[in-house]
Amino acid sequence: MTYAEDQNGEFKRRNQEMDPAVDCIMKFPGLDRTDRKIMNRKPRVLIGKVGLDGHDVGARVVARALADAGMEVIYTGLRQSPQQITHAALEEAVDAIGISILSGAHMALLAAVRQAMKQSDLDDLPLVVGGIIPKEDVPGLKALGVWEVFPPETPTPKIVEYFKKLVQPS
Amino acid sequence: MSLDKKLEKWQQQKLPKWLKDHPESKERYKTDVGIEIERLYTPCDLDRRNFDYERDLGFPGEYPFTRGITPTMYRSSPYLVSVYSGFGTPEQSNQRYKKILDWGGVDEIAIAADLPTQLGYDSDQVMSKGEVGRVGVAIDSLRDMEILFEDIPLNKLKRVSLLGNSFGPIALALLIALGRKQGLQTSEYLVNLQNDILKEYVARGTYIFPIRPSVRLATDVVAYCADHIPHWYPINICANHINAAGAGSTRATAFALANGMCYLSHLLEKGYHIDAVAPLLTLFLDERADFFVSVCNFRATRRIWARLMKETLKAEKPESMALKIYAYAHGGETMLEPMNNTVRITLAALAYVLGGVQFLENASYDEVLGTPSENAAKIAARTQQILMHELGITNTVDPLGGSYFIESLTHQIEKEILEEFELVQEKGGAIAAIESGYYTACISEGASRRQRAFENGERVAVGVNRFRTDSEIPSGAFRIDPDTETDQLRQLAKLKKERNNAAVKESLALVREVAQSGGNLVPPVLEAVTAYATIGEICGVLREVFGEYQSTEYFQASPEFS
Repeated sequence: MTYAEDQNGEFKRRNQEMDPAVDCIMKFPGLDRTDRKIMNRKPRVLIGKVGLDGHDVGARVVARALADAGMEVIYTGLRQSPQQITHAALEEAVDAIGISILSGAHMALLAAVRQAMKQSDLDDLPLVVGGIIPKEDVPGLKALGVWEVFPPETPTPKIVEYFKKLVQPS
Repeated sequence: MSLDKKLEKWQQQKLPKWLKDHPESKERYKTDVGIEIERLYTPCDLDRRNFDYERDLGFPGEYPFTRGITPTMYRSSPYLVSVYSGFGTPEQSNQRYKKILDWGGVDEIAIAADLPTQLGYDSDQVMSKGEVGRVGVAIDSLRDMEILFEDIPLNKLKRVSLLGNSFGPIALALLIALGRKQGLQTSEYLVNLQNDILKEYVARGTYIFPIRPSVRLATDVVAYCADHIPHWYPINICANHINAAGAGSTRATAFALANGMCYLSHLLEKGYHIDAVAPLLTLFLDERADFFVSVCNFRATRRIWARLMKETLKAEKPESMALKIYAYAHGGETMLEPMNNTVRITLAALAYVLGGVQFLENASYDEVLGTPSENAAKIAARTQQILMHELGITNTVDPLGGSYFIESLTHQIEKEILEEFELVQEKGGAIAAIESGYYTACISEGASRRQRAFENGERVAVGVNRFRTDSEIPSGAFRIDPDTETDQLRQLAKLKKERNNAAVKESLALVREVAQSGGNLVPPVLEAVTAYATIGEICGVLREVFGEYQSTEYFQASPEFS
């Protein structure tokens, strides 16, 4: 439903109702990924934007689609440094990181993200990238440690399926 | 029998038989903005809507300006043919600008600046690493502007444009100072700035400072021009990016109008009369999904603007009520089979021309893949020229006016824009809409809806979700020179050594003082820019005084709540 069609303020209520989820999750700061899997909690994904580019339509669409598919998603907003991404990934004990880059600076930025992940003991955490990435750069990114690169116009269900396989306990 | 009775008879007797053997392709023909398009429009629709030629349309160049803002439109004044360009170092872009001018018939160059520049960082700052010269030309100082326009006097073009959304006073200062270096008075050339910070927070992302100081910066620029350079265009209030981000064009136009009202109310508070500032505003409108919605969006918005200025803000000068529109034609560009985009962009531009645009720019067909190639940029400019001079498109004013469809759709779109606009105003206006997350919620929801419409085939992208072959997204996209960053850093280091650093320091101190005291920031920034203070240095001072915008974007989406 659109905001305009929302006569009973349900959209607004839903947005407000999101806050309790934050409190709930923050109350268990010590919960790491293994604990959560044991407790049968929902898989969690961090979606972030690194670098200076400000277009986040794609990142938000993917975040929403993953949430609709049953995952808990944290979207970091724009201009995150590699350290901010890894810090958030640790704090939120996520099962995977998805990064969106459209500015062309992906090689330098993802090298920095991988470096920060190694330093924070997140070397084995799945890292997935989407955005404007020329085909020729994909092997280089995978060599850096990026698990998968989704080029533009990848159907969202394909991305969701990939993440599902990634985060579900086998 | 009256016409509406005859129409009813036709719908109830003739149509069902026909539809049985010739079913329509869809049950409902819905547009991206949610409006449903009817099978047929007749005079009955105009009657239903109480259409009155004199009240709703009038003559072009007269209130409410629905048909156009001048009596003769393109017969006297073609829309400006603009090219958005910039990449690498200023030297490299200077070469491209010279080539563009050699094509002939290009009226305006819109300078595309790289992300570090747009975000107030110098090329040698940590945040700029890897991003210098990528999405636009690297501009660190006035020196770079001089190189960018070497052998290109600013008055050789009909207009020069710069975005400057997050640092309006610096953008304005650069173009005033550059003119002076070229020996020109501001009266001898024309400048356009986008300078629309409000939309950045929700749809484009190149904000630096918090909202209120940023609105001050934007309005300082408009105020300075109102006082000293009233023929320039100091602000383009954008619906474009809000629509592109997902809102849909009616909502996007409504949000742009609300943003416009925010800027205007600040200017009125500063003591400016509405007629001193309204004529300096332009709107950047956009619609990419429906040709006719696009045409009607322009016509409806002109009518709304005229009434808003006259009735709400009590403007008296026609120049305040006659809305000037800027547009950048895209259509629904795809990365697969990008040559198809020439068709889409041409049709999108045609809609803008039929809608009465004043300043037109066309995307290049390969712009979805990265920085446009020279050939693609040339085709984009040629398209604008073909629309202007061939096929008789511009021979009459408002050619679609009077169509039962167009007048009905214009009326419907006007109603929806006004409803959405009133909603924002009820919530407390543009700043409240940003801070409460209302704009963002509307945009995100629209984006997801659009994505679903593409994925279930409701919205067609030829070559992608319909008639798709095994083509791949083409490789070999334009790459900037790998030495760009090192070259730019070298130039910047050279500048910092050669300039009068004492003068720079003094000028930055004055910028700080005025930023803190609340005066118009354009004069001290102009002094600093002229002394070759860098964009990063000036923004550094402003960052210290105003702080940086803290986005509350960190959200959690949990399945229970979606």
